[in-house]
Amino acid sequence: MSVIIDSTTRVLVQGATGQEGRFWTKHMIELGTNVIAGVTPGKEGEDIEGAPVFDTVRRATEESPADASLLFVPPGFAKDAIYEALDAGIKTVVVLAEGIPVHDALRIRGAALSAGAMVIGGNTSGVISTGEAMMGFFPYWIERVYRPGRIGVMTRSGSLTNEITAEIVKTGFGTSSLVGIGGDAVPLTRFAEVLPLFEEDPETDAVVIIGELGGTMEEEVAEAIEDGTFTKPLVASMGGRTAPKGTKMGHAGAIITAGRGTVEDKVAALEGAGALVADRPSEVGELLQSVLSKVG
Amino acid sequence: MKLFEHQAKELFQEAGIPIPEGKLVSSMSGLDGVVEEVGLPCAIKAQVLQGGRGKAGLIQLASTGDEVRAKSEQILGKLEDGHGLLVEQALDIDKELYLSITPEPVSGSALIMASAEGGVDIEEVAQHTPEKIIKEHVDISEGLLPFQARSVVFELGLKWSEVKQGSTMLLNLYNLFQKYDAELVEINPLVITEKGDLVAADGKITIDDDALPRQERFSLSRDFFESDIAYEASQEGIPYLKFDGDIGLLCAGAGLTNVVYDLINYGGGRVDSYVEFGGPNYRKAAKALELMMKTEPKVVLIVTFGTIARADVIAEDLVEAIKRLEPGFPIVTAIRGTGEEKVRDLLGEVGLEPLEDTEEAVEKAIELAGSAER
Repeated sequence: MSVIIDSTTRVLVQGATGQEGRFWTKHMIELGTNVIAGVTPGKEGEDIEGAPVFDTVRRATEESPADASLLFVPPGFAKDAIYEALDAGIKTVVVLAEGIPVHDALRIRGAALSAGAMVIGGNTSGVISTGEAMMGFFPYWIERVYRPGRIGVMTRSGSLTNEITAEIVKTGFGTSSLVGIGGDAVPLTRFAEVLPLFEEDPETDAVVIIGELGGTMEEEVAEAIEDGTFTKPLVASMGGRTAPKGTKMGHAGAIITAGRGTVEDKVAALEGAGALVADRPSEVGELLQSVLSKVG
Repeated sequence: MKLFEHQAKELFQEAGIPIPEGKLVSSMSGLDGVVEEVGLPCAIKAQVLQGGRGKAGLIQLASTGDEVRAKSEQILGKLEDGHGLLVEQALDIDKELYLSITPEPVSGSALIMASAEGGVDIEEVAQHTPEKIIKEHVDISEGLLPFQARSVVFELGLKWSEVKQGSTMLLNLYNLFQKYDAELVEINPLVITEKGDLVAADGKITIDDDALPRQERFSLSRDFFESDIAYEASQEGIPYLKFDGDIGLLCAGAGLTNVVYDLINYGGGRVDSYVEFGGPNYRKAAKALELMMKTEPKVVLIVTFGTIARADVIAEDLVEAIKRLEPGFPIVTAIRGTGEEKVRDLLGEVGLEPLEDTEEAVEKAIELAGSAER
């Protein structure tokens, strides 16, 4: 079993009939993802790469139950679409949209926590278990970037993911599962909430987190290591060391405010807990080699 | 979107939060009759978005009509843009408090922060004496409940006669936070006058940019930006930052941009500007290059390693833009990820060679910036 998704996970795709939705659903199926249906209001009767399209999530899941839903919907509609998936009892939702309003994100997070569901995103490339199944958009067919292996990855950045996985592959490793937490100020699921899944995953030997300035998610990872919740080796790549204070560095979540969220603090917390921190992407591979040779 | 003080106070007034008597003036001629309306002494406050207005001499007190004119002229002389001056009745201050509401991402709630140590830099208080800040989490689906508002205000140590005003003010402030999709609503200082009235002497409101499509009352006009380029980028939804260096950084994806920004600094280079066209913006590479040209960089470094941001689409767009715009600066590229197999041929059309390694591209850009003629 891998983390979040494998080839048996029954995946629904909301908003699959748009341009990006069709392009990536095709790639998901080619990898081996079990896409059971699409949902686009008004498009029932069409199909997406052979999977039937329904008007509502209720109808789709009545026809055939789903374990997870992937959302290709625009940010302003994300909240409604997520609530629709939660209402149908789906416990894993991945939302790719960038620009979900912050107040919507707060409400979604509250709703997901009380439904006992995991909503991942927004502003993410999604989730992939390398060589098995994917919800999102990772170019898994580029061999120097994606190779099945035993390193778990969690990331706040889609654009940096390939950069880091290429370094992991270059040093002879491969990836088990990759979870895109996303770059928003209110990530709907946090690093520390995914960490226990990697801890339990027998296919993951070590975890790489791709962090950056802003927020407190890296500090929460350090706490999980310190309190023994997470015991596998962990390497962090941290962007934004030289970023000026008070400037939103592209991602809504990438900002240092009130002296909080500096990379120095995050590095100190992670290193204090025993994790290794890479200054630049090219160091990630070497650090992995050093921790994994120690483990044997 | 940060609102100007006078806009925040307009919202305060509509929400029933007391503010000082005041008037917005845009020029010296607008001052006629203001003193009679507002009263003396008064405060003259520049309407600009930057912080630290007091230290910069952009807020001044005046106690006579002549002083109002002289100081207004002085402040207006310092302003290049902004919304003019807010002339306000000065308050008889007994105490200064702090009150704010922000989103709290960990629990998915709203966070109220209050302190009896207002009027100063609250970040200092938070860092050195965190126990002086009262915190209250609000379930955003329930909203702020009256008992919570009362509890916060009692903790501030107010007198019973002030508590009622304070909790009403906090409930009204929460309504603004919720109604306008705010990332921050802040009253600092919240003044208790010698008569025992609570008044919002200053106001800060930041509206979530991602919520602007449904907040029709507000739009980001030119006066919210430092430059024409920043405004143009914002209209396109393209993140843009200006620094003082020589390398123009054109990247798809914020995370990658931040790392490349670090790598340039580590290598002794200096970033001049940052134009980011990742995620849903990846079909705007040509527009991003157009914006970049207006910043007049010495060298442009284009780095992408896209997932959704397809390398072939980006390269095609760039080639079209380069042919059309004929930029006069050298361009270093590392354009990889989804669709990368087509990139080499595409870029070859305009004589560009895509590099495979980010660090190699950064080194090359720094080298070119060092040797290129401006």
